[in-house]
Amino acid sequence: MNRLMPRLSSRVAVALALSAVAPVVTTPAFAGDADLIAAGKYIATASDCVACHTAPGGEIMAGGLAIETPIGPIMSTNITPSKENGIGKYTLQQFDTALRKGVRADGKHLYPAMPYTAYALLSDDDVAALYAYFMNGVTSVETRPAETRLPFPFNLRFSMAAWNLLFLDNGPFKSDAAHDGEWNRGAYLVRGPAHCGTCHTPRNLFMAEKISSEMSGGDVGLWHAPNITSDANSGVGGWSVEELVAYMRDGHAMGKSQAAGPMAEAVDNSLRFLTPGDLRAIAVYVKTVPPVHDTADTQPVFAWGSPSDDLAGVRGVALPLDRNSMTGPQLYDAYCATCHQAQGQGSFDGGLPSLLHNTALGRANTNNLVIVMLEGLHRQPGVLMPGFAKELSDTQIAALASYLIENFGNPAAKVTVGQVAELRAGPAKSALVTVARTVLALGALVVIGFVAWLLRRRKTTARTA
Amino acid sequence: MADALSADFVVVGSGIIGSLVARKLALAGASVIILEAGPRVTRGELVARFRNSPRRSDWMSPYPPAAWAPHPVYQPEPNNYLMQAGPYPYAAEYIRQVGGTTWHWAAHAWRNLPNDFRVKSLYDVGVDWPMTYEDLEPFYQEAEEIMGVSGAPNTGSPRKRPFPMEPVAEPYAMRRLRERLASDYQVVSNTTARNSRPYDGRPACCGNNSCQPICPIDAQYHGGLAAEAAEGAGARLLPNANVYKLEHEEKGRIAAALYYDPDKASHRVAGKTFIVAANGIESPRLLLVSASDKFPKGLANSSDMVGRNLMDHPSTSLTFDADEDVWLGRGPQSPSSINTMRDGAFRSQHSPYRLDFTNISRVDGATKSLIAAGIYGSELEKRLRFSAAREMNVKNVLEVLPDPEHRITLSSEKDAMGIPKPEAHYAIADYTRRGHERSQQDFRRIAELMGGTNLRFSKDGDFANNQHICGTLSMGSDPKTSVCDQWGRAHDHENLFLASTGVLPTSATCNSTENGLAVALRAVAHMLGQHNTSTAAGEAKT
Repeated sequence: MNRLMPRLSSRVAVALALSAVAPVVTTPAFAGDADLIAAGKYIATASDCVACHTAPGGEIMAGGLAIETPIGPIMSTNITPSKENGIGKYTLQQFDTALRKGVRADGKHLYPAMPYTAYALLSDDDVAALYAYFMNGVTSVETRPAETRLPFPFNLRFSMAAWNLLFLDNGPFKSDAAHDGEWNRGAYLVRGPAHCGTCHTPRNLFMAEKISSEMSGGDVGLWHAPNITSDANSGVGGWSVEELVAYMRDGHAMGKSQAAGPMAEAVDNSLRFLTPGDLRAIAVYVKTVPPVHDTADTQPVFAWGSPSDDLAGVRGVALPLDRNSMTGPQLYDAYCATCHQAQGQGSFDGGLPSLLHNTALGRANTNNLVIVMLEGLHRQPGVLMPGFAKELSDTQIAALASYLIENFGNPAAKVTVGQVAELRAGPAKSALVTVARTVLALGALVVIGFVAWLLRRRKTTARTA
Repeated sequence: MADALSADFVVVGSGIIGSLVARKLALAGASVIILEAGPRVTRGELVARFRNSPRRSDWMSPYPPAAWAPHPVYQPEPNNYLMQAGPYPYAAEYIRQVGGTTWHWAAHAWRNLPNDFRVKSLYDVGVDWPMTYEDLEPFYQEAEEIMGVSGAPNTGSPRKRPFPMEPVAEPYAMRRLRERLASDYQVVSNTTARNSRPYDGRPACCGNNSCQPICPIDAQYHGGLAAEAAEGAGARLLPNANVYKLEHEEKGRIAAALYYDPDKASHRVAGKTFIVAANGIESPRLLLVSASDKFPKGLANSSDMVGRNLMDHPSTSLTFDADEDVWLGRGPQSPSSINTMRDGAFRSQHSPYRLDFTNISRVDGATKSLIAAGIYGSELEKRLRFSAAREMNVKNVLEVLPDPEHRITLSSEKDAMGIPKPEAHYAIADYTRRGHERSQQDFRRIAELMGGTNLRFSKDGDFANNQHICGTLSMGSDPKTSVCDQWGRAHDHENLFLASTGVLPTSATCNSTENGLAVALRAVAHMLGQHNTSTAAGEAKT
């Protein structure tokens, strides 16, 4: 039911793609080692490469996913071992440089939403394993996605050199002796391959992750990636490690939340395949991320709501002829109550989620709630909440969502008709302020980058002179 | 009116068959207009009406008839739209709204058995079909892939490709039936158009147990989805367009469909080919009311067979209390059945039948009967709990043979638009009664195997109707004894096709929808060929 909104990549704020073609050096065939390839496949899964580098219904890692960004569509590239169309001619060194430094084999810079700032933390061993996997474990695909053509000034890839000076830390990950091995494994996964911060950490004016606000929530297209710091109210401080593990493994945790949208994709493609030990390590680490508190969250965002209904006001009352005049209880009775039950309590086993004690209704930011109502929720294996974009008008969605948050969620949150219209239109047509700001930020970034590059060039020239 | 509507194909009726034919025509590039007598409805409002209805077991309660295009309802009072001439009432229920009657069905999507196509040759009863099972097999598959059908592999209808999905999980009560009846009967999953996994953007069944009157989540396929798919493919659907006459040219070609809007303003829709897909009652009614000087008995009716041979699947049943708690009502309403009596040499003597187990929650029915018996208070709670947990029901689904005297005619009474109402002439034949009698031993044995007590057989002589309207537009090779050929083309009109369960010449023992749909999907290539031929001929002339 891909109804109205274009597919969003799970890893994209200002989404940019690895554009690694035009190899320079031929590489000898890598001596395949089954264990190394398997290890590489695991890290590739943890890194969710497939999310951006595979088009819907397309060949694995062959690219071609058109990613809508505020500055234009960006096409993900073929990273299969095709020598002509993929990365088959990359040496381990070139592969490493692309992955951890953001520079592709022809010397051109990648845009930083290929999350090389996270991948920079990868260990040498994992990079070698990834290389073995990509060269020997991925089927070569002889198709070449269309080139990304961004308008000036965003087409100036060299400006990223300056950006890297400012925002690219030199890796790889270093263990923190103050914590145990499990915590360090979690920190490595979260900040490195799994690149959780790409979505969950807010970005500064230069579209770089604000490390001081790590995991305190960011925007992914029109979706909101919530605060997953250890704050008891705003974050996941109130979740047990077991609940976090269940959420990542199954896509839902009873009495807490369920994954939708880009997070559902992350669970589908990546997290559910991680070992129980790694999921536990991630959970242990996340629960220690410094708390960031939003004063709007006067109680844990999962703690809102109590069972209630308004059936007395609905029974025996005919539906209004103008369906836009249907009340919240009437809409709930018609579209929600069958599965989520009369009082929002869901099914006993959580297979049909409770609307009470559900972060989807407990946050001040209601975008995710509205998008799920419009588009539904799709998760593997076989989880599907239908969307209601075709059946319900903006007015009806707003009335229904308002009823839901008033009765089952945080009543201070709001949903407006205009917001529903904006979210229905999708990111490509969105005039949200954040998008405008992003465009401006990128413009500034390019200019600043250009200046920085000139300065650096002058310095280098002066030194060599 | 200023309308100048026309299309290559004009389809009358937006039910599951008309809509899926329209979709297939539109996908082939033809222009298609669908005329639907009733209004558009949304699933949400149907669900809201169902949940808000005091008559939970009246499956028509969410579907109030439109004043300008009524359909029969019987509760709280009969609206006397489908008139009854007797001797046995034919109280059919159907829905005149966009999407038609499969908005409420149990989604049974059975194929006939190969022998069902040859009952005259094999058993000297009924008539043979003008096609074989093998002819229809690919189109059964096509229908099943559109609707998302699953079923047991061993019900006697061979298939070349697998079902598109596995059956929905077996409800506990059905499991107990299967286990406890295994010595005598094989209880299998019904063949149904109900998702066991997300399919075509629709979710899997989550066991709301309200398949009738409305699946609240579209886990079950229905005509509303078919109509949506037809529009998605480019067909233009006009709701509230109650066709009251098909107009013909001098030589008998159909020229236009005339319809009333709700204000009774008349509109004309021209077309090259016309497809009447308005179910087994409204379709013959339309052909009959379109009588003209040239066709005084009605269109397509030189055989006098339009409206005749009305068939359905009458049922009698046994209700009993099992000796263990089974709690009907979890999962779909009609999940399992016994298929061993659908065919055999006995068909020369009595009706074959399917034995169907209900899984409808007993709470509503038991509550009503207990209160009617004056039981209240803690005794009501205790008895209700017992009935809800223990009560079971098995019914037969009996074949009816074609009989020209069982028929739909035009009543002398008229509806709100001034169109004659349909009138049913119906009876239960001895052949069917003998099938009912034969099934009583199965009923008793099933109850015995379930440790059943308090056996309540349906009232002697009472046959419940199953709304599987067949026969009234019978297809056949002989224009003297049938209305249309195997492609649904009216023998009397080269550009008039009939797409409906009405074309099925016998009723066999399974629900008519998939059979009618497969026959219609098979005909589409011929509808297109007919259209291309006439276009080519037309161009050659000019």
